[in-house]
Amino acid sequence: MTIDLYYTPGSAPCRLVLLVAAALDIQLNLKLTDLSAGEQFKPDFLKINPQHTVPTIVDGDFSLWESRAISRYLVNKYGAGSTLYPEDPIARAIVDQRLDFDLGTLYPRFGNLFYPQIFAGAPVDEALLKKLEEALVFFNTFLEGHKYAAGSNLTLADLSLVATVSTIDAVGFNLTPYPNVLKWFQLVKSTAPAYEETNGKGIEEFKNFITRLKAKSEL
Amino acid sequence: MDKTVVEKIQSANNAVARSKNSRMPVQPIKLYYLPPSPPCRAVMMTAKVLGLELDLVLTNIMEGQHMTPEYMKMNPQHTIPTMDDNGFILWESRAIMAYLVNAYGRDDSFYPKNPRQRAIVDQRLNFDIGTLFLRYVNLYVPVLFKGDEMEQENIDKMNEALGWLNTMLDGRAFVAGDNLTIADISIIVTITNLDVFGYDFSSYENVVNWFARAKKTLEPYGYNEIDRAGGEILNSFLKKQ
Repeated sequence: MTIDLYYTPGSAPCRLVLLVAAALDIQLNLKLTDLSAGEQFKPDFLKINPQHTVPTIVDGDFSLWESRAISRYLVNKYGAGSTLYPEDPIARAIVDQRLDFDLGTLYPRFGNLFYPQIFAGAPVDEALLKKLEEALVFFNTFLEGHKYAAGSNLTLADLSLVATVSTIDAVGFNLTPYPNVLKWFQLVKSTAPAYEETNGKGIEEFKNFITRLKAKSEL
Repeated sequence: MDKTVVEKIQSANNAVARSKNSRMPVQPIKLYYLPPSPPCRAVMMTAKVLGLELDLVLTNIMEGQHMTPEYMKMNPQHTIPTMDDNGFILWESRAIMAYLVNAYGRDDSFYPKNPRQRAIVDQRLNFDIGTLFLRYVNLYVPVLFKGDEMEQENIDKMNEALGWLNTMLDGRAFVAGDNLTIADISIIVTITNLDVFGYDFSSYENVVNWFARAKKTLEPYGYNEIDRAGGEILNSFLKKQ
């Protein structure tokens, strides 16, 4: 059984799906999707995902997008016995809240600050910078007294948040004001299954992408 | 971890374990809320749909009641809605809604256990927080709270999201399938706001039909008193500008 993953190298939400698949020993059939060439707008792709985003998976006749919905699906369907997404309602709820924090607060605040700089050469927006710093303070506080993002075990919350935090780190953002986050980041790097081959490699691809963009805008 | 926190979690775990037979919380669940807040409205309707009594705690964020030391100790992110289920604290409306069904749903119809059906609900919920509701906020918050004009770029983004919602509704009675789920409840609060503000989404036929159907389905569960009324409060801010 292989699942098709439409992805673009370096993309944080795509890296999350790679991390989850590796943790669950799921074989992915990787389908490179060149966003700059508009491949996501091809009729065949729109049929499986009308919102034309990556990552998108196709599992038999079932297609799904949104990285954190894909992550939950992979555990719910194929992760019997996995502790990545606990069945207990309370434990699961904490993972869900952390995932929504990542999707709704941390990752967008990073994107809002950083992507205008890299795609449009915009200067650093101080107000947006403060918003990102605030989000990192929130995350630092969530981690107080906990080993992992949602408790004492590695969960989908850690995998999602590490895809985001590793991206923040990759652009040179200083994480030392957030000691819990720094400690957690080192822990997840060393305990998330196949971290180097999945997220580690993806971060290098992300850095290459940023370097190429910077070179273009400096011409 | 603080001993009292550990005790609270243990007592909450016991509460859920004991109540699994009766599927009811030991004490009514506390909800820190404000009536116009869309995510609060979604949680309140979900509780009604599940037959759960809420102990509503008015938290006026416009007067900083979410920034007190007590509130921030409970929720360091100081947002509403925040839930306190017999010591178990949770925020993020969609996490709360999923928790209420997972913990207390008599059946799984509002958040199906089948992985593929659940995945569609999860994708719709993520679409809501990350795209639909976000674009509504970007479009209307400057108008509601600063008296700015609507920006065309934000209107275009809102319409794009409505178009995607319209497509997701193709061949479906509700956003994630044949039955009402928490995805519908989460999404309807945004559409109610648009409707109350007079935003024209008439060209999105599936959305228009779904909105009528979902409103009707939620009427016995406080649609008018909770969602519509909350939207009207926000609308009064708009009119003041």
